[in-house]
Amino acid sequence: MANHSQFGFQDASSPIMEELVEFHDHALMVALAICSLVLYLLTHMLTEKLSSSTVDAQEIELIWTILPAIVLILLALPSLQILYMMDEVNEPDLTMKAIGHQWYWSYEYTDFKELTFDSYMVPTTDLPRGHFRLLEVDHRVVVPMESPIRVIVTADDVLHSWAVPSLGVKTDAIPGRLNQTSFVATRPGVFYGQCSEICGANHSYMPIVVESVPLTNFENWSSLSSS
Amino acid sequence: MRRLLARRMKFHLLGAFLVSVGCATLYKFGVAEPRKRAYAEFYKSYDPMKDFQAMRAAGVFESAPPK
Repeated sequence: MANHSQFGFQDASSPIMEELVEFHDHALMVALAICSLVLYLLTHMLTEKLSSSTVDAQEIELIWTILPAIVLILLALPSLQILYMMDEVNEPDLTMKAIGHQWYWSYEYTDFKELTFDSYMVPTTDLPRGHFRLLEVDHRVVVPMESPIRVIVTADDVLHSWAVPSLGVKTDAIPGRLNQTSFVATRPGVFYGQCSEICGANHSYMPIVVESVPLTNFENWSSLSSS
Repeated sequence: MRRLLARRMKFHLLGAFLVSVGCATLYKFGVAEPRKRAYAEFYKSYDPMKDFQAMRAAGVFESAPPK
């Protein structure tokens, strides 16, 4: 989860999120270069060290057409690379469904056992000491670590969005439509997310918690939960 | 004063370009590269099972309570 006053991304827990963090650093570097250029010219213009009074400026017109085109290509190439990487079909070990309701998520693991459950936020009045306010749920999503997981996301009523920032996942839940996303949790742990599409009064109170555990523990949990 | 604007503009445009490249380089080697290195170092000697056992003992997991 995010710390208080956190400014940047949460630590990446999947390879895609690591790529996204790297791309964000690249894009921010480009944005910083452009902003510093504009700030430099602006301060010099405002302090009369430079003027924009020109008559003929063919060379600079050429420069400030070609340079931005190069910058855009430098941004587009890694962006498209990650976009296509996210869409790769990678033979998932597990497929689960996440269904958005007002105002809770329900999950279905129908691969090998009929395992379905609802996941409601734990109200603050019932929250055990040391647990995270507005983030904990009564039934967590448990997945095996280091395995490709496919999530089919849909909704029962209005638009929702299933998002877990640490795993680099955000997929809209649209009634009547099945959206697919996938992730690999590279390490064990508990990853938090929140509904990311406005869905009514309790939109802020339907969080998502993903627990990534070794395969043996996942199998124990699934056999206990479905019995 | 002859061609003053042209001279100044050439000088400051070059200066602006150097400042922007300098800022980008500072960010790249001050933030981006250390972050990449931090991720690589973390995963170089990372033991997921050891991490899992430590988190399990601390009672983090609901599906895997402490032994």
